[in-house]
Amino acid sequence: MIEPFTLPFMQRALIELLILGALAGTVGVLVLLRRMAFMTDALTHTVFPGVVLGFDLAGQDGIFWGALVAAALTAVLLTALTRHRAVSSDTALAVLLTTFFALGVVIVSRRSGYTADLTAFLFGRILTVAPAQLAQTGWVAALVIGTLAVLRRPLLAATFDPEGARAAGYRVDVLDLVVNLLVALVVVASVRAVGTILVIALLIVPAAAARILSARLALIIPVAAALGALAGWAGLAISYDASLHHGLRLASGGTVVLTLVAFYAVALVTAKTVPALRSLRRRAPVRAS
Amino acid sequence: MSVLELDMVSVAYGAVPALEHIDGRVEEGEAVALIGPNGAGKSTLIRAILELVPLAAGTITVLGATPARARRDVAYVPQADTLDPQFPISVGEVVLMGRYRRIGWLRRPKAADRTAAREALERVGLADRARDRFGTLSGGQRQRVLLARAIAAEPRLLLLDEPFNGVDAVSEQALLDAIAALKSDGAAVVISTHDLAMAHLTCDEVCLLNRRQFGFGPTDATLTPDNLRATYGGHALELRGDQVVVTS
Repeated sequence: MIEPFTLPFMQRALIELLILGALAGTVGVLVLLRRMAFMTDALTHTVFPGVVLGFDLAGQDGIFWGALVAAALTAVLLTALTRHRAVSSDTALAVLLTTFFALGVVIVSRRSGYTADLTAFLFGRILTVAPAQLAQTGWVAALVIGTLAVLRRPLLAATFDPEGARAAGYRVDVLDLVVNLLVALVVVASVRAVGTILVIALLIVPAAAARILSARLALIIPVAAALGALAGWAGLAISYDASLHHGLRLASGGTVVLTLVAFYAVALVTAKTVPALRSLRRRAPVRAS
Repeated sequence: MSVLELDMVSVAYGAVPALEHIDGRVEEGEAVALIGPNGAGKSTLIRAILELVPLAAGTITVLGATPARARRDVAYVPQADTLDPQFPISVGEVVLMGRYRRIGWLRRPKAADRTAAREALERVGLADRARDRFGTLSGGQRQRVLLARAIAAEPRLLLLDEPFNGVDAVSEQALLDAIAALKSDGAAVVISTHDLAMAHLTCDEVCLLNRRQFGFGPTDATLTPDNLRATYGGHALELRGDQVVVTS
């Protein structure tokens, strides 16, 4: 499982996936606890037209910025749409999701080589990661993790008990906005590598598996990050091995996601069968920051 | 200086008035029960005291300042069943949240913070459950944990929203004891409830509410059949000794 990574392009793909896996795993815990899975899924679709337009205007480098603009636009429109009491936030999300996604499909369908481009946008191009893109991902990861570390107490309070947090003087609306922006940043950073469709798996599945294995937040977060990174490495190695030695052309992004789902299944079975884990899930530590 | 002063307070949701002309004060070591039927505006008044809803008219003064300025000295206890029982957090971590404003964002909790959290949990009789996950406790025990979180904040004004709803007898007694201890330490307490017997047991004063105020004063003098009938509208009421019965 180490042999493929002697090639420079495979090394870059591996580093990119390790960073993204750990980052998305960490942020995914927040998504899970705040029940934002649908919102996140919508976000992964609404960045699509941004990805396409960004690529049209500036090539590979434009994808990040195009996605960023689309994600920011989503956050603003979502806030505006849900101001109307008559429209619930999931309805607003569904409207935004389909509108943006259709917009992306229409834009991409104008292009020649339609199918190949669409596949790349939807499922990513992990094997063509450039060094500059790696640096960008690193900066995003540092920014997101740094923000989470600074805001960990307000975020925990506002996620567990929003009304109590408001009563204690925390600006819960601002914290909500910050969380949405952090999730958007992770989606944007992941889009080039794993595509708009597979980002959601990176965010949700490691966190869900970690939650099954433990009831301690102090354990869930590192476990989710580790599972995300591990799946990135294993998925990449498996797809490389299958393509080279078995004549099976497996898409890297898809293989990474299937590896994650396999982890999730193992977590489900282990939690049901291993008694030590059951007690770990029930008891939690008194010491925490 | 009163801990809490309500001066002709009115609150409206859009054009719909939720509370009108609430007037009264609560002193150190005093407990007041907000009494009224569902939808009377009890929770709205608590939210107004926390400055979570804007006032349409009147002023609220907490410890001589605006509620926002006095926030550090005010603690709020929500209803336990509004919180997600699946949340991966321990009882000890929930109580420590009461210290967050003192701990700040970055530094680690000091020994004093951990001691305050442990003592608060002892006060509600759950010191041995600190390591258990919050959601594994009974509803009444969860309510006690939330009270412990408030106690850990060392408040001078404590606001409780329907703390006795669906709470077993053991937890009810533990809540009563902890509230009594806070009062004797000099804290002022506001409890919203529709349980007249609990109001009698815990509170020196009552505020009868149903959109507007139907009485604010010492419990015995204010909890009269006439006042209660006015507050609850068409419902018939009887006072038997110190027991109050509401029938619809």
